[in-house]
Amino acid sequence: KWKGEGTTQNLESIVIGRCYDYIRIVNPAVGEKNCSELWEAFKNAFINKDPCSILPNDYELFINLSLHTIPPNKSLFWENNHLLVNSFADRGRRYMSLADTLFGSFGDFLNWCGQADSTGLDYESCPTTEECENNAVESFWRMASATYAQHSSGVIHVLLNGSAAGGAYPDPGFFADYEIPNLQKDKITQIVIWVVDDIEGPDIESCGTHTVKILEDRLKTLGYDVTCADNYKSVMFLLCLD
Amino acid sequence: DKDCLKIWESLKHAFIYKNPCNMTSEDYQPLMELASHPIPCNKSLFWSKTNDLVHRYTKSNQNFLTLEDTLLGYMADRISWCGDPSAPGINYESCPKRSECESNPGSVFWRMASKMFAEAACGVVQVMLNGSVEAGAFRNSSIFGSIEIFNLNPDKVSAVHIWVMHDIGGPQSESCSGHSIRRLKSILEERNFKITCEDNYRPVQLLQCVHNPDHTDCRLCTNTT
Repeated sequence: KWKGEGTTQNLESIVIGRCYDYIRIVNPAVGEKNCSELWEAFKNAFINKDPCSILPNDYELFINLSLHTIPPNKSLFWENNHLLVNSFADRGRRYMSLADTLFGSFGDFLNWCGQADSTGLDYESCPTTEECENNAVESFWRMASATYAQHSSGVIHVLLNGSAAGGAYPDPGFFADYEIPNLQKDKITQIVIWVVDDIEGPDIESCGTHTVKILEDRLKTLGYDVTCADNYKSVMFLLCLD
Repeated sequence: DKDCLKIWESLKHAFIYKNPCNMTSEDYQPLMELASHPIPCNKSLFWSKTNDLVHRYTKSNQNFLTLEDTLLGYMADRISWCGDPSAPGINYESCPKRSECESNPGSVFWRMASKMFAEAACGVVQVMLNGSVEAGAFRNSSIFGSIEIFNLNPDKVSAVHIWVMHDIGGPQSESCSGHSIRRLKSILEERNFKITCEDNYRPVQLLQCVHNPDHTDCRLCTNTT
C-alpha cells in the first residue's frame, strides 16, 4: 500500500525497554520518568489517524514528558554521518547527540506509522516522505530536532560530511530547517563546524567552500561566533578504524 | 527467532525466591539454552581489564564480537539481580558482592556465560589485554585466565591473537615479551593453539587516539608504509 517499510516489530517493547535502559543505566541523571506514560504519549501522536496527517506538534505531550537538560558544550549536530556520530558521541559520554537524549533515543533506527480508523500500528508498510511529508516518523524527527536545538547551549558542534554528493550542508535538511532556526542565541557561545571526508572518499567540500561557506555565512549573519575545521583529527581516527 | 518474553521468564526463574548465595550453573541452564546463538568463526574477541576500550572497538567495528555483543551478554550487561526467599522474591535493595559469597547470581551467570562463549568460539580468536595495569596483563584469577582459555576447543580454534594495549601516555607495565604474557603463551601452547602477540594493535590504538589526538603515539604517518 505504501512504499516504505512497515512499523518495526515489537516496537512497544523496544521503546519502553529503551526508556528504562536510558533512565536506569545510560543517563540516570534525568531522574524518574514513567516509561509507560511516555509510550502512550508517543503512540497517541500517530495512531488512529491518517498516516499522512501527523504534525510535529502531535508529539508535544511526548516531548514534555521526556524532556531533560542537555549539558552545555555537549550538543553535536550532524548531516550524512549517522553511524559516525553515534560512534563519536560514545553514547552520551563524549557528546550528547539527539540519539543520546531520552526523546531522541525513542526513535533511533526505528520505523512506525498508524492507520485511520484503527488503533493498530501498520506493520505492512508506511508512507515515505516522498509520498507525504506529514508522516509519523518525519514529524517526530522535526519535533525532536527542534527541541534538541532549543535546549542546546554553550559551544555547539556540527559534524558534516565533506564527501557527500548533495553537499556537506544540505538545504533543505534537518539542520537547516529545524535546528538552526531553533538555536537560542543567548545560550550559545560558539559554533564549531567539522567537515570530515570519508576515508578514500572524494574531498568534495571543505571549510570556506560551497555549501559549507553558505552555512558559515548564514550563522555569522545570525550573529554567532563560528569556527570551522577540516578533517578534525579525533574524528579521522574513528574513520580509520574500518 | 527468539522469544524474548520466554527468555526473561527463564532468567527470572533462575534466581527468584532463591538464596542469593547458593546459585549454581544448573539454575541458568534453561536460560543459556534459550538465548544462545552460534558465533561466526574468527570473530570471538575476549578481553581482560579493557572493558571500556574493547566495547568501543566492537561498536565501531562489526568484525569482532565480545560476550557482551551476544544476545545473552547484551541483555545482562550493566544490570544486576538477586533473589530472596521472602516475597516478592527479588531484592531491589542490595545484592551480595563476590567478597560476601562467590556463588551469587551475577558471578555464577558470568562464569557460565563466559564458559559457553569460549566453547562456541571457532577459527582465529582474539584477546585484548591491558599492558598498563600493575597487576599484570594476564592474570590467572581473571575470568579469561581461569575459565575462557580452558574452554577454548582445540578442534575448533586454530589460533589465538593477543593484543596488549597500553593507555595512551600511560605506563607500559607489560608488553608481549612480558612475564605474564609468556605464562599465557605457554598455557595456550600446551593446548596446541598457535599464538601471535601484538603490542598496541593499531586499529584499537586509533580508537584510543580519538581522545588523545595530539599525543606523539597518535601522530598520523607522513610517509606511506
